[in-house]
Amino acid sequence: GTKIIDKSHDQDTTDLHKCITYIWDFAPDANKSTLCILVAGALGGRYDHEMGNLNVLYCFSSLRIVLLSDDSLIYLLPRTHHHEIHIQTCVEGPHCGLIPIGAPSGSSTTTGLRWNLNNTEMRFGGLISSSNIVVGEKVTVQSDTDLLWTISIKKL
Amino acid sequence: MLRLQSIILAKAKHFTVPSPYSLRLVKKRTIAMDLMHHSSCFLLPTIPLQRRPSLITAQLHLCADGGANRLYDEMPLFFPQEDASDVRRRYKPDVIKGDMDSIRREVLEFYASLGTEIVDKSHDQDTTDLHKCVTYIRDSASGLDKSNLCILVVGALGGRFDHEMGNLNVICRFSYMRIVLLSNDSLIHLLPRTYCHEIHIQTSVEGPHCGLIPIGTPSKSSTTTGLQWDLNNTAMEFGGLVSTSNIVKEEKVTVQSDCDLLWTISIKKL
Repeated sequence: GTKIIDKSHDQDTTDLHKCITYIWDFAPDANKSTLCILVAGALGGRYDHEMGNLNVLYCFSSLRIVLLSDDSLIYLLPRTHHHEIHIQTCVEGPHCGLIPIGAPSGSSTTTGLRWNLNNTEMRFGGLISSSNIVVGEKVTVQSDTDLLWTISIKKL
Repeated sequence: MLRLQSIILAKAKHFTVPSPYSLRLVKKRTIAMDLMHHSSCFLLPTIPLQRRPSLITAQLHLCADGGANRLYDEMPLFFPQEDASDVRRRYKPDVIKGDMDSIRREVLEFYASLGTEIVDKSHDQDTTDLHKCVTYIRDSASGLDKSNLCILVVGALGGRFDHEMGNLNVICRFSYMRIVLLSNDSLIHLLPRTYCHEIHIQTSVEGPHCGLIPIGTPSKSSTTTGLQWDLNNTAMEFGGLVSTSNIVKEEKVTVQSDCDLLWTISIKKL
């Protein structure tokens, strides 16, 4: 009884992109603001696939989409919002990062990290916040660009 | 393929890396730009029936901190009929460098006793272990022929995502050096915007799936040949078009862009 939707004619978007579009079209308007899409198996494997999945986060920046792997969790922090991230310390952390993929950040500020940013510039080829550590149970992030938040998932 | 967080330096001994400095006029442009050649000859088996990076022909083997744990634990798995210690001695790294917060004590002591140089940079928390290793190769490794240098990084992908991004950032920071990140499934290297690029595809070991990724900044104009979906002064950016799930159609791919791009291609399973 699984519904099969064949979009083989569309070679311009990835399979994940097609699935997100389906969910968006399918979800009642009343639920869209609280929608959260978890994507398992989004990382690892072919690297171009992984990049395509990251790009989907940017293409649907108004949706909460979380990419999951065995080791990490990733989601987008849109620049249009201040962010409070509540850390579930029993299952995630302490290793984390803030990644300015696709565009540099002229100014990012955080609290709750071992190495906080303070109106700090970040860009590929310069500083990016990787191998950071969550201190405490709440992290705040504010930036002039969309950032990827990533945090390690604890092994059972 | 072995998942190692180690760095292997391959001298141009079993393959030739042509000089990147060949001037050639680019079609449709009047500005001459230097040409850079790329070839993944290091993926070709140097020993029949075996398939791994050119471990034997590399000039220098380094482990980035916890990469030494993987080398220690997993190298004997390739030679199950042999004594594990003998295998570990035969495949010991020349250098282990990093902040030493991941390497196990017994692994450190084992390799130190074999003469591996241990470079403890635990005071430096501003750079990743991979960054420290590339700096070592660039600055400190004496007796090394650094012309035609190519650094292969095995085990660079997968695992923690922030580590993976840190590794990508290293190849962006050292954009003037040839650094190739390898995983079981893919190969990645940077195509600096200052060159036109010719990528010679080793079709027996790589492809056909590929991608071009504007990792750090949007690209207003990128042009390619040799792909199923070529770019033609095409804009690319995260949130819009990024060239993924592309296919290599010819044995030579050319790329030219106004920004640094990551080139990624799939590695064929045996």
